[in-house]
Amino acid sequence: MIRFDDTLEYIEVIQRARTPQEVCEALVGVTKQFGLNALLAGTVPGQGTPGEEQRSHVLLCDWPIEWLQRYVERNYVDHDPLVQYMRRTPSQVTWSDAAARIDLDRSAREVFCDAGAYKLNDGFAMPLVTLEGQVVMVSLGGENIELDDNAIRLISLASTYAIGRAIQLSSEEKTIEHRPELTPREKECMRWAAAGKSEWEISQILGISEHTSEKHLLNAKSKLGAANRVQAIAEAIRHGYIS
Amino acid sequence: MLYALSTSELMDRPDLWQAVHSLRHSIFVDEMGWEDLRREDGLELDQFDHEEATHHLVIRNGELAGYQRMLPTTRPHLLTEVLTDLYEGTPPSGPDVFELTRYAVARQYREGRWGVSSVGSELIAGFIEWGMERDVDKVIIEFEPMWVLRALQLRFLAQPLGYQRTYGRQQVVATLLTFDDTTLRVVREKRNYDAPVLVHGLPDFLGYKKAS
Repeated sequence: MIRFDDTLEYIEVIQRARTPQEVCEALVGVTKQFGLNALLAGTVPGQGTPGEEQRSHVLLCDWPIEWLQRYVERNYVDHDPLVQYMRRTPSQVTWSDAAARIDLDRSAREVFCDAGAYKLNDGFAMPLVTLEGQVVMVSLGGENIELDDNAIRLISLASTYAIGRAIQLSSEEKTIEHRPELTPREKECMRWAAAGKSEWEISQILGISEHTSEKHLLNAKSKLGAANRVQAIAEAIRHGYIS
Repeated sequence: MLYALSTSELMDRPDLWQAVHSLRHSIFVDEMGWEDLRREDGLELDQFDHEEATHHLVIRNGELAGYQRMLPTTRPHLLTEVLTDLYEGTPPSGPDVFELTRYAVARQYREGRWGVSSVGSELIAGFIEWGMERDVDKVIIEFEPMWVLRALQLRFLAQPLGYQRTYGRQQVVATLLTFDDTTLRVVREKRNYDAPVLVHGLPDFLGYKKAS
């Protein structure tokens, strides 16, 4: 029996993760005691999604790299019994049960046999639904898995927090991407410009030439996508460069 | 618009009182199958509709579109009295912690199978605003596990209070959600509505539609 305090500890580690990789490690850290040591999680792609686009559906992945490559190259996603199962009935299931409940054609059997070659004999998968109504599938696999009801309760709880953390991190990444990167000098010049100083005054304060201060301000303006200095200052404030 | 009423304020308004308890009956008894709460008169009431409960009502088009009830954790509440198998150890309590119960969106105001409707998200924005006004920044909620992910996406800090259990047709997990300015900002961004939703005062009589 798993102690609840341990569960809380696991979830705290997941919530402290700062990168998707750390989230993966934290979740697998929970599930490996049940023999689940490989993880793939992502939104379920529609039938016929091209390989390149499939990658953008992935939220968390620590599958053996050769297996992942093979999976994408051979377009296994369209034949994977698990993906078919999740599209039809989004619910918790072991890999072997999903296979038993889907009519396996030759290519579906091939996916399962191939997975075995990478020591992924069986696993557990569950769906989660995002705020936007998208279904995220978490799939965990291993060589010898041992699951009971308590284990599944813990795994589903930990998986939910892991996906939550992964989505938080990916939305943070987007906000940072949108923020233009200003050099320290450009920031400094913008700060003085916001304080009402002219290019000449800024050059005197910073001990640089007037031409250089003008250049820093022009660079900052173009990075901030502003049409004039007032707008550049407003943008710099919005992005948190000037308080 | 979301109105926060004390139980006595609610009882002073028979139109609202009736609408609240009949919406609760139709959702929690008829739809979700909590048969213990079934009543002949089609009104759902329990021992926690006491004088310290606060009732949040979302009114749209002169009718009750959404509802939730806030209970103080400084006295017995649902988790400590009824849903006792949902927590491990000692559940959090104090003047800064409330329990959110009976979250309900009227059928005609729901959107799709999975999505959170605009009334549903107004209830969320509403309890955050209501909490911030009185130094409350934590709520205990017993909800379906899929809400945990939604809460994390909305930038609540979430902490499970126990494991999930099956009640009737539903899986339920008790969770402590902590919120701050970031949570409110993200909730407002997601609903594309920046203004406060909590209004002070009492709503017009139901069925009365303002000419626009």
